[in-house]
Amino acid sequence: MMIKKIDKNQFKELFDKLKENYNIAAPVLIDKNKKTLVEYHYIDDFDKIDWDEQADSSPKNIIFPQNAPVGNDYKEKQYYDTEQDTLILGVRSCDIEAIKTLDQVFIEDEMYIDKNYKARRDKITLVGLSCPQRNKSCFCDTLGFNPVESNYAPLYIFKDGNEFWIKVKDKKFESVFENLPDGNQDKLEELIEKRINTFTESSFELDIPIPLPEKEMFEADIWEEMSEKCLGCGICTYYCPTCYCFNFIWEGKDGESTKYKNWDSCMFSTYSAHASGHNPRDSKEKRYRNRIMHKFSYHPLNYEGLGCVGCGRCIDRCPVNLDIREALKLTEKYLEEKGGAKSGKD
Amino acid sequence: MVKVSVRKKVKPQLKKYEKITEEIVEIAEKLLKENTVEKVIGFGIGIFTEEVTPIFISNPENADRLVFNSKAEMSLAKYLLNYKDQKVAIVAKPCDSRAIATYLAEDLIKRENIKVIGINGCPGIENNTACEECDIRNAVISDYTVGKKMTEEEIEAKLKDKEDKIEKMTPAERMEYFQKEFERCTRCYACREACYVCYCEQCFTEGNQPEWVGDSVKLNDNFTYHLMRAMHMAGRCVNCGACEMACPEGIDVRALAAKMCRSAEELFDYRAGIDSDQKTLLSDYDVNDTESGFME
Repeated sequence: MMIKKIDKNQFKELFDKLKENYNIAAPVLIDKNKKTLVEYHYIDDFDKIDWDEQADSSPKNIIFPQNAPVGNDYKEKQYYDTEQDTLILGVRSCDIEAIKTLDQVFIEDEMYIDKNYKARRDKITLVGLSCPQRNKSCFCDTLGFNPVESNYAPLYIFKDGNEFWIKVKDKKFESVFENLPDGNQDKLEELIEKRINTFTESSFELDIPIPLPEKEMFEADIWEEMSEKCLGCGICTYYCPTCYCFNFIWEGKDGESTKYKNWDSCMFSTYSAHASGHNPRDSKEKRYRNRIMHKFSYHPLNYEGLGCVGCGRCIDRCPVNLDIREALKLTEKYLEEKGGAKSGKD
Repeated sequence: MVKVSVRKKVKPQLKKYEKITEEIVEIAEKLLKENTVEKVIGFGIGIFTEEVTPIFISNPENADRLVFNSKAEMSLAKYLLNYKDQKVAIVAKPCDSRAIATYLAEDLIKRENIKVIGINGCPGIENNTACEECDIRNAVISDYTVGKKMTEEEIEAKLKDKEDKIEKMTPAERMEYFQKEFERCTRCYACREACYVCYCEQCFTEGNQPEWVGDSVKLNDNFTYHLMRAMHMAGRCVNCGACEMACPEGIDVRALAAKMCRSAEELFDYRAGIDSDQKTLLSDYDVNDTESGFME
């Protein structure tokens, strides 16, 4: 492992050098007429990077775009966004863990490897950012993630005022950074320790078995109360860094068509509609139950870890402020009253 | 409900909101205690945040969870459609009361089933540009009123004399403006779901035989979605701004609907949701109606 320490100007120089060989995406502030939001975008100006705020939408948009042409001829047709490799700068722990979730589903699942996702993902390197402070709605620590450092990114930045510590965890990248001034490992450990201490107080206490017991929760009578105010739009799923449901669509004209892999949302009533007219999830409580159960029961059953990373975006972006934490608390209470249910694995 | 310690304290609100909140709580508690209604639909504060969120109260002891403040941006009227056969009370801002009046005019809900707690002298909602154009600041329909009725002069004074920048644009500029707006649309359909008008069992976006609008998020399909939705707004939109407030991409969604409101007024002297006995614009026909919509 290599540790480097540079100031802002040195980072700017490094950035300009990196952009010759890489496409660089980072969180930037975007004026969107009625709102101003922080989003991941490809950039060429270091000064535009917003280091201090959690992005309002996740880096999923870059790794798994909302609409992407797919097919077996993916490589031949060069559907890559670009030929160059991409660095995504400033990805916080929650989003790194979320990308791990996407990788589990699209690449690491032995049953099927999504070639198109893999081709894009292979060209992307995550550069993590140690989370400076809790956002108003996030709760990654409650779910057991470490906001200060995640091991899934090969490069990691610790920003301390105008100083940047860079941890190079993957030998592959050492040559890129070798000419930069070295950082003192003990000093960095001190900084990490200090930062961990600012997160000691958990955002909220939660005691639920993972995976959630499928049968018990499926039949629970709490879903209607939880989802009563849900409008049924797709915001929580579209801005969720781990939601990966998709739909295949062929689009084109004049006898030519392209197959697209588009985002879908389990919160839409048409999501589970059958051609026969039957819809197994025909009400919003059933759809909401599926969303929660996928994240806290089905995903942990089929893969490792959770399907929710506690980034809090579904809470912040929801037009009626439906709060997933309230749903989890209600789940905890329900299972407690049932006499301490076992997890779905037992 | 779950009892967990609230981390953040609720922000102190202005006096006028406090008064309205107190009155709402009092009425809601009475209605629930006397079993006049089974449920009160209103605004409350989240357990973990200080954000306003719709709440549904059936226990009179919980009536004090109801609040009203400048962030009560959601249109609650649409929830009435979920309780068509139940007796419910609903807290209604003036725009929501217009939505309820339209539902009654469209024969969607039964008047005897609902109790409207109408807000008079609505102080407006934070960041909602529709409120700057709002000239109906008293509930048009109510069984109980809270707040203080605003006079014509007071309403006039609140109106911001703002020139409509979109009306002033040339067609080319307008095209450019809406292109810039709609290319950001992710088609999450929050505008549709937040809108009280959009209660169709199947939206035109959801069918595939024929497929009116493509599934991919492309500029032309986004245009199709927004323009077709706007056409359904004529004579029904009450210009409440819920669509704009719901949009996660900050798109000027309301502009097209607001234009339909203005057109309905200019061409047919019609405003939606003024009283519950009015005929709906599109179901009423007069031989003297202007036909300015038809091209020569």
